[in-house]
Amino acid sequence: MAGQSDPQLSLFSAEEVEFIAEDEMVEIVPNLRMDALNFVCGDFGPFFPQLATQVPLWLAVALKKRGKCTIRPPQWMTVEKLTQVLEAERDSQRVFEQLPFHYVEISRLLFDHARDDIPDVYMVRSLIEDIRDVRFHKVETNLESLNERAFALKINNLSAMEVNIVRPFVGRALQAFYKHDSPDLIPDQDRVSDRRPQVANNATRRHLRR
Amino acid sequence: MASEAGEGSTAGMDDYETLISTTDVELLKKAWRNEKAAPEILRFETSLIQRIRGQIQLMEENIEEFAGSGIDPLTVSLYQMDLDRTQYLFRSYLRIRLQKIEKYMFHISKNPEVQSRLSEQEKGFARRCADDMERHLEESVLSKLPDNYQDTVKQSIISEESDMIPEPQLDSFVVCKSRRFLGPFQLDGSDELLEMKPDELCIIHYKSIRERVQEGDIDLV
Amino acid sequence: MYGRKACQLVKELASGEKGQLTPYNSDLFDQVIAECSQHHLELQSLIRKMQEEGLDVQTTRNADHYGALIHHLSLVRNKRCLMAYMYNRAEIIRSLIWKVGPVLPQQIQEKLSHTEEEYFKKHSGALQSYMSRLDLDLTVDMVPPKDPYIQVRVLDDIGVVLSDDKTTNFARHSMHFLKRTDAEQFISRGLMEELTS
Repeated sequence: MAGQSDPQLSLFSAEEVEFIAEDEMVEIVPNLRMDALNFVCGDFGPFFPQLATQVPLWLAVALKKRGKCTIRPPQWMTVEKLTQVLEAERDSQRVFEQLPFHYVEISRLLFDHARDDIPDVYMVRSLIEDIRDVRFHKVETNLESLNERAFALKINNLSAMEVNIVRPFVGRALQAFYKHDSPDLIPDQDRVSDRRPQVANNATRRHLRR
Repeated sequence: MASEAGEGSTAGMDDYETLISTTDVELLKKAWRNEKAAPEILRFETSLIQRIRGQIQLMEENIEEFAGSGIDPLTVSLYQMDLDRTQYLFRSYLRIRLQKIEKYMFHISKNPEVQSRLSEQEKGFARRCADDMERHLEESVLSKLPDNYQDTVKQSIISEESDMIPEPQLDSFVVCKSRRFLGPFQLDGSDELLEMKPDELCIIHYKSIRERVQEGDIDLV
Repeated sequence: MYGRKACQLVKELASGEKGQLTPYNSDLFDQVIAECSQHHLELQSLIRKMQEEGLDVQTTRNADHYGALIHHLSLVRNKRCLMAYMYNRAEIIRSLIWKVGPVLPQQIQEKLSHTEEEYFKKHSGALQSYMSRLDLDLTVDMVPPKDPYIQVRVLDDIGVVLSDDKTTNFARHSMHFLKRTDAEQFISRGLMEELTS
């Protein structure tokens, strides 16, 4: 159907992922007095100059574009926090650090529309790009070692965009393993109860030890 | 994000928060995502859709009134943006369902349980879809084939069952996120048990979680 | 070889660009139909032969039985290919309703068979009646909405313009906050540019 993503390829188009991310809440500091907004999607405000309040990202960006507020970048979007995340991402081959599900979209929207509200914006931007790259690479290597049948695969802390990238491939691969594997394969109890958040789960570890 | 220690109480908190803060738009967004990601057509959200339509109409009237009553253009444009977002979700939800009905029209027309998940208007659409398609296939292909080979959904007269109906692949893998702590449950077609913590992401056979999606414990993403 | 033409038909379908129609191949289609009739004739004559020899058609496993079986299977395979060809084209035809609306442009119409044209009209009618029963147009709001207003910078003196019962002076280098739809005509003529921060 035109205008909608092809369910066979990626479920959600880039525009749709952004649309979903625009509902994430952020803090703004208005510079005007405005009555409460009683939207279909919820009530926000009332707004007073210099008094911080929480609104969805799309509203924050709209107000910002009209020069009516500044946006306070979320807590994870600081040089200090992002440096920690990047180091941790580099240290571990499999574990993904906890970032908001929509960190890629949120940060892009803020870079596009509220650059002057982000301290050290260039540093923050390049850190996020590095984190993205490290994580993408990790996703890729973990996918390469996906080699066994599984009924369920935990992919904790993957972000929306990473999920979108992984989904078509992993879905098909697991289905293929599922079909080709003999049905009387002895089930492995701890494969699914594995607590480590990672793409390839135990299957990888077993493979590497062999 | 929920900490591991407070699982029980977190689940309780979730319920409480759901009760006080979930708007119909959030419910619609969830229904939209689930419908988009599920291989089969889900139960039509009759009352939710009715409420959303009411809210959209009300807001349309409000915005018209605002424009006439000297409310500042900034406020009006923000209300319009909110309305546009809801309109998009609402229409997209209905479109995705039509898309699925078109795709699985023969499966639906042979299957009362699936029909029961459709709205009245969708049922009408599904019927016409299948009729039109059947007629088209008859005129362009089947009427030109020998007797015994003219059935739309059977390969030939000796096929014991309907063996040419496109069906939703319930064993395809989906990505999902659990809303609350889910104690160990059995995965379809295996002895394996799976436990999910709130907000955990998982790639899993759709059929292993389809009831939980319908019940609202697990969201597809 | 049996089934080759039908396979070609399906390959034609698969090699087309996704979501795009290839011209309806009535030649090849009719040839496959003719092949089906031929298979059926051979199948019948083999069965008749077995009956004339006084053999039980259900249980006998002789050369004629397997010959008949091959004709049957080839026929079934051809049928599946013909059906797949039509069915998949019908899927694309349905998607056209969303892309181009209820009236097909000439260059697309030329690619359809007569029954396909009919099908397009019928299905378009089904969709229309669904939407009118709901009193709702589903062909709008096709993509996630964006802010209807954008910030622009004027690149060349445009002068005073009247819009929405107010006048604005679009002097060179001035910046304005305009409806996307109003600004687009100026942007496309190179008189304004959209600003992102």
